[in-house]
Amino acid sequence: MSTLLAAAGSLEPAARSYLSPTGQEIVFLLVGVLVLGAAVVSVTTRQLVHAALWLVVALGGLAVEFLLLTAEFVAWVQVLVYLGSVVVLVLFGLMLTRAPIGRSPDADSGNRPAALAVGAASAATLVTLVVDAFRSSWIDLSGPAGTTRLTGEFLFSHWVLPFEALSVLLLAALVGAIVLSRAKGDGTKPRPGNLRTVLTKTKER
Amino acid sequence: MNPVNYLYLAALLFTIGASGVVIRRNAIVLFMCVELMLNASNLALVTFSRLHGNLDGQILAFFTMVVAAAEVVVGLAIIVSIFRTRHSASVDDSNLMKL
Amino acid sequence: MIATHALAAAGGNSPSIPAPHIEYGQLSPMLVVFGAALVGILAEAFLPRRLRAATQLGISLAGLVGGFVAVVVLAAQGHASTRAGLLAMGSVAIDGPALFLQGVILLTAVLAVLTYAEGRLEPRINGHRIDAFAAQAAAVPGGEQEREATREGLRTTEIYPLTLFAVGGMLLFPASNDLLTMFVALEVLSLPLYLMCAIARRRRLLSQEAAVKYFLLGAFASAFFLFGTALLYGYAGSLRLGEIADVVSGVAPVTPALAVTTQNDALLLIGLAMVSVGLLFKVGAVPFHSWTPDVYQGAPTPVTGFMAAATKTAAFGALLRLFYVAFPGIRWDWRPVMWGVAILTMVVGSILAVTQQDVKRLLAYSSIAHAGFILTGLIATDRRGVAAVLFYLLAYSFVTLGAFAVVTLVRDSKGEATHLSSWAGLGRRSPLLAAVFALFLLAFAGIPLTSGFTGKFAVFQAAAGGGAAPLVIVGVLSSAIAAFFYIRVIVLMFFSDPQPSGPAVAVPSALTATTIAFGVLVTLGLGLLPQYFLDLATKASIFIR
Repeated sequence: MSTLLAAAGSLEPAARSYLSPTGQEIVFLLVGVLVLGAAVVSVTTRQLVHAALWLVVALGGLAVEFLLLTAEFVAWVQVLVYLGSVVVLVLFGLMLTRAPIGRSPDADSGNRPAALAVGAASAATLVTLVVDAFRSSWIDLSGPAGTTRLTGEFLFSHWVLPFEALSVLLLAALVGAIVLSRAKGDGTKPRPGNLRTVLTKTKER
Repeated sequence: MNPVNYLYLAALLFTIGASGVVIRRNAIVLFMCVELMLNASNLALVTFSRLHGNLDGQILAFFTMVVAAAEVVVGLAIIVSIFRTRHSASVDDSNLMKL
Repeated sequence: MIATHALAAAGGNSPSIPAPHIEYGQLSPMLVVFGAALVGILAEAFLPRRLRAATQLGISLAGLVGGFVAVVVLAAQGHASTRAGLLAMGSVAIDGPALFLQGVILLTAVLAVLTYAEGRLEPRINGHRIDAFAAQAAAVPGGEQEREATREGLRTTEIYPLTLFAVGGMLLFPASNDLLTMFVALEVLSLPLYLMCAIARRRRLLSQEAAVKYFLLGAFASAFFLFGTALLYGYAGSLRLGEIADVVSGVAPVTPALAVTTQNDALLLIGLAMVSVGLLFKVGAVPFHSWTPDVYQGAPTPVTGFMAAATKTAAFGALLRLFYVAFPGIRWDWRPVMWGVAILTMVVGSILAVTQQDVKRLLAYSSIAHAGFILTGLIATDRRGVAAVLFYLLAYSFVTLGAFAVVTLVRDSKGEATHLSSWAGLGRRSPLLAAVFALFLLAFAGIPLTSGFTGKFAVFQAAAGGGAAPLVIVGVLSSAIAAFFYIRVIVLMFFSDPQPSGPAVAVPSALTATTIAFGVLVTLGLGLLPQYFLDLATKASIFIR
């Protein structure tokens, strides 16, 4: 599966200009199936670390889809932010909370049938919705769109205030996370990191 | 090219994520399912952005990613702190709480 | 359209982009609050520990009062009525409802911050004051590190800048004029709240569990909000509420893409439903209410008071703007659904409240029921409905804040005594406090001469005028159920015998006393002389597009 992803990835730069529409659709289809499969495995596997790794595959596949839609900027931000930091943080979180490597029997809450029913119903609704609404629509992919330059210009001429609010959000998250996780004595050296504490405790067990 | 396939993919991903939230018990895996839902929204936004020929959707997709990064920081801080208190990150264990 | 125009313009290789026009003066309430938050963080980084608590309180109060003054000045300059308009390239609206709600949020936050700083409710440890927040949030509860932190008198003073960040998001939320800004504002107000829930001093596991629950459900709800936004954007091709309204009503020029997407209303309706789920979660409406009791119970009580009052105000502001600015054209589609939500919320909130044995959970269910009452005002879909909701939010905020401030005072050796049985006979032990709490409960119940009565009367009148008479009947009935459990608590406080080992009533410092006194004042003031504020709310009830 991952070689498939790599193959699709190597097509990316060319996808915008050189691939014929059919070629694009083939790449879309392959990557799309990969993304769906990875997502399903990610939410169902009993091995928690595998779930995170399959999430990487799904999110990476989505980055390829963004490239196929000529949204270059979003695609690279997806790679940097999601694959580069969010998933890494999630993996750290799994390690810090001592997620077992291997199957965890209590990974599911036992309401799989309910979830399946709800999922099937909402998928049916959303998909019929899409079929109804967009059967005849068409996207012209020839024009330039989604390059970093255009996106940046558009961002900073129309969406400056939300962008600044976003920076405030990051600062608030940073401060809050420090409050919850940094334990320090008055003026003395920082205590041994939480990671180490957890690791030693794991050994004790 | 017809956008309908991209929207199928977005709709299915969203449902997979939402069902995952119902199925899973581990707090961090629950959060991963929410990430999947956010990504589905992003795909829909980018597709619609191409369909309508303006960049608003892509800008919102970018904003979502930054928000997700902030969310994961906050979420993991909370989850790890409760884990240290209780040595388990399973959501249904909320013994002290009743609904 | 602007967007396509910008694409064309940006296609050239001009070296610089046109500078966006930002109206700093009109945005000043938010800018002052965010600025104060930044100063607070700098103070946290550079000031010695013993100076921090007092400094942070000063900075927060200065920022919040400064923001309120800015709101009043803007309103006096006519920005609420004749000079209402859009700011920051159309992202933010400044109009009557925005300024009114910003004023309410800022006043609520001032009073909430006063209760944060209360340090006299428990005896000093090692000469250090004890407040409602964990000495060191990162220390494991009950561990050596926590004991040491308590001995050293550490305090989590970061709570002040976090509150200011949340307040900034709340100011932006009801004023945001597009779905993108609304989403960012939603997150700016939510993330600090998740964190603040986790740092109670007592019963820390409960507090952390509340934070996890709030965080996960909140993230789930905002994912719905986002997917709904994507569908609405797909329908209308724009995130601006005004432009969406134009597309919905068919005024907008039809592009080839719009010709396809607007064929099918399902996209619009499902999109609206999903966005509403995100917002209804924040106001705590049934069936998106399951977080409310646990979070209200687990969070530190001053934070609960702040959250209950200010979050609800901000979220209802956003809900009003969404429905009244973007979707008045399809009100016949969304009104029946909101009818259902309002009825469910009123009935479920009232009935479940009857069974509660914990004061904080009782107030949580009562806040759910009140969300239902406020929704009836929203359903009126006219100016009177907006005015009624604005007035109700003003009245409700101060009662809630006062009630939670009272809860912080009734204590036993383990901290706050929130179980109802320990409140028995409080009226004999501390008649003044019990009388004040009884007043707040009567206001919740909507007894005449209190602000609650005026507020309920206003929303029900608006709903009846808007053709929702059955809804008003359900509202009155659930008010009666609600009144039953409020009266039950009052009876418990005044007519039953106190337990021998019952809780003591702590004597608050001037800080909490001010909050409670202000709550009493507003409750009685809006009950006895509501006309000025009703007029104010009516004047402020027009949304700009």
